[in-house]
Amino acid sequence: MKYLSEWDHWKQYSSKSWKRFLEKAHEMTTHLEPWRENIRNIEGKFGTGIQSYFSFLRFLVLLNLVIFLIIFMLVLLPVLLTKYKITNSSFVLIPSKGIDIQCTVYPISSSGLIYFYSYIIDLLSGTGFLEDTCLFYGHYTIDGVKFQNFTYDLPLAYLVSTIAYLALSLLWIVKRSVEGFKINLIRSEEHFQSYCNKIFAGWDFCITNQDMADMKHISLQNELQADLEEERIRQKIAERTSEETIRIYSLRLFLNCIVLAVLAACFYAIYRATIFSQEHMKKEIDKMVFGENLLILYLPSIVITLANFITPMIFAKIIHYEDYSPGFEIRLTILRCVFMRLATICVLVFTLGSKITSCDNYTCELCGYNQKLYPCWETQVGQEMYKLMIFDLIIILAVTLFVDFPRKLLVTYCSSWKVIQCWGQQEFAIPDNVLGIVYGQTICWIGAFFSPLIPAIATVKLIIIFYVKEMSLLYTCRPSPRQFRASNSNFFFLLVLLIGLCLAIIPLTISMARIPSSKACGPFTNFNTTWEVVPKTVSTFPSSLQALIHGATSEAFAVPFFMIICRDKRYLIQKLTEAQKDMRNRLD
Amino acid sequence: MGQCLRYQMHWEDLEEYQALTFLTRNEILCIHDTFLKLCPPGKYYKEVTLTMDQVSSLPALRVNPFRDRICRVFSHNDVFSFEDVLGMASVFSEQACPSLKIEYAFRIYDFNENGFIDEEDLQRIILRLLNSDDVSEDLLIDLTTHVLSESDLDNDNMLSFSEFEHAMAKSPDFMNSFRIHFWGF
Repeated sequence: MKYLSEWDHWKQYSSKSWKRFLEKAHEMTTHLEPWRENIRNIEGKFGTGIQSYFSFLRFLVLLNLVIFLIIFMLVLLPVLLTKYKITNSSFVLIPSKGIDIQCTVYPISSSGLIYFYSYIIDLLSGTGFLEDTCLFYGHYTIDGVKFQNFTYDLPLAYLVSTIAYLALSLLWIVKRSVEGFKINLIRSEEHFQSYCNKIFAGWDFCITNQDMADMKHISLQNELQADLEEERIRQKIAERTSEETIRIYSLRLFLNCIVLAVLAACFYAIYRATIFSQEHMKKEIDKMVFGENLLILYLPSIVITLANFITPMIFAKIIHYEDYSPGFEIRLTILRCVFMRLATICVLVFTLGSKITSCDNYTCELCGYNQKLYPCWETQVGQEMYKLMIFDLIIILAVTLFVDFPRKLLVTYCSSWKVIQCWGQQEFAIPDNVLGIVYGQTICWIGAFFSPLIPAIATVKLIIIFYVKEMSLLYTCRPSPRQFRASNSNFFFLLVLLIGLCLAIIPLTISMARIPSSKACGPFTNFNTTWEVVPKTVSTFPSSLQALIHGATSEAFAVPFFMIICRDKRYLIQKLTEAQKDMRNRLD
Repeated sequence: MGQCLRYQMHWEDLEEYQALTFLTRNEILCIHDTFLKLCPPGKYYKEVTLTMDQVSSLPALRVNPFRDRICRVFSHNDVFSFEDVLGMASVFSEQACPSLKIEYAFRIYDFNENGFIDEEDLQRIILRLLNSDDVSEDLLIDLTTHVLSESDLDNDNMLSFSEFEHAMAKSPDFMNSFRIHFWGF
């Protein structure tokens, strides 16, 4: 018999206490998790599909909070410390040289309004008294903050904070999607929703409610029958004659052209609405009526919301004629709606961009942008994003108050009417809701560069949405017989979010690298473009470091590096497939 | 409600249960509460056993279509001692490792207890999942064939434990669905 030596004894004891400590720490951190009880409650009543939507919402609240903290630490904190004289620091203002004096003129609009509703308009559109606050880019017309021992380079910090929050979002989303996602990445679609998964892992053991259990039985039956049906259709498709195939493909081509036409029409409507709104915003405000004024300010938001409301219905109708298998139909409709929702923001931003860089005659060569209409164009883009965000929140609240709750009241009290019976109680539509919050998050990502406080507003907005949606779910919705699987849902949500992030990075890179920064306001008055901060900073480094950086970013290094990374990924995936084949061989 | 005292559990016992199971302190105390509510008054919780019916009627298992199999797998001699209940909760807890869950899932799904999940077991699982009286023969046979074609690697028309383990390791929903958090009333 082997006795444990003193050393082994101590090792065992310390590893046990360490494990115990980790467990205690883990237990304490799970208590810090917000809304844990709410989400558990929802899971028990409505299943894991809807629960994953609320977990996703919680993740976005956390993400926005962290983005705001980054921006706060890097940009807001030095400015606030100096402004309120908490530390003994001062602002460094370097006068711009070699720039036409006309470019630096920035008239703060004091329209001399005496109506009190002007404050409401200002609050809702970010103009007037809000324009000069730390909400927008224009407030940070500071070239540095001089502390006792060093000078804090604010332009560099502003750029670094933008890159930091984009990189952080990308890494966090990728990490989250890899965490819960199994090796199924390498297998085909069919196996992802395999029969084994549905039969052996089909029942949610955490269901405690009899109604929910009945619902689950029905949904399982529907799902399994739908799967078998899908397989039958797939076989039928494989047995199509060539004549039929040609007919189907030409019909699909025609219908896709219609889809593109619908998209083009919506984009053109948004383009015209944005131009109209921008042109008429410059008119005298006191010549307009209150409602008309607000309508013009919010016109792009209204058109985007209407487009996002109508197009899913059109797409749903069109896809019936395209004769795809049911599973593919759902996926394609969702993909089209995702593209539509996110592309509308890009269209808005590009319209603004084209207005900013187009001038009627020679004035653009002066400053590089239309400084007569847009002396501080970043602030104005920030205002548009701010308006989109506020309008989005108003619409969500309005739809819940004025559509969901009355519908529930009608169904409860007037259920004798045939129409009401047909319409029925609301079901919680997961794809629409997810698209809604991804849309809001894309606006936040684009807007955070132009308006540093937008992530904080987004955090508060998402918290409000959580409670509103939870109430709407618990009081007005019934469980849907067609249920989303949790594993599918997580992947789908994060994929859509990733698409939103990629679509947000495009306008940001173009505005940072191509469009000259405002010379009248903001931290980049002394640079040609926002990106120019980086080469200028690198040129102040010691020459050896400069040579290293130049080498690392040159093509001779970057391309082989990228190729090695790709090869490693492929090698990893190959190893995983081999392991699987190995298992099969061993059992044969 | 019984006359049992609420915190009958000694501190050392609590520590021991924490070390031996995957449950957290609060979860163990919650199960202890539930156990005391069901056991007859005046008795020490370590000496009392619960019947399978009593455990089946807990809210956590009441609507579960596999509750009779769960009770059969986790009980000893058809009764549940406190430690049996803890063991059951531990397997279903969030922190339990996948291999443990897969092992017990295999035992739960093996209705005829012959060490394999064969066609008869699969048909009974499907009937329990659908919980309806008019399930067509074709549907049952279709589904059974599909499951076996996906996971039966040695073509003997049954799933052995390693085949089941392999299938569940690939299944993305298994860990999410095979858990129960709340054992109270």
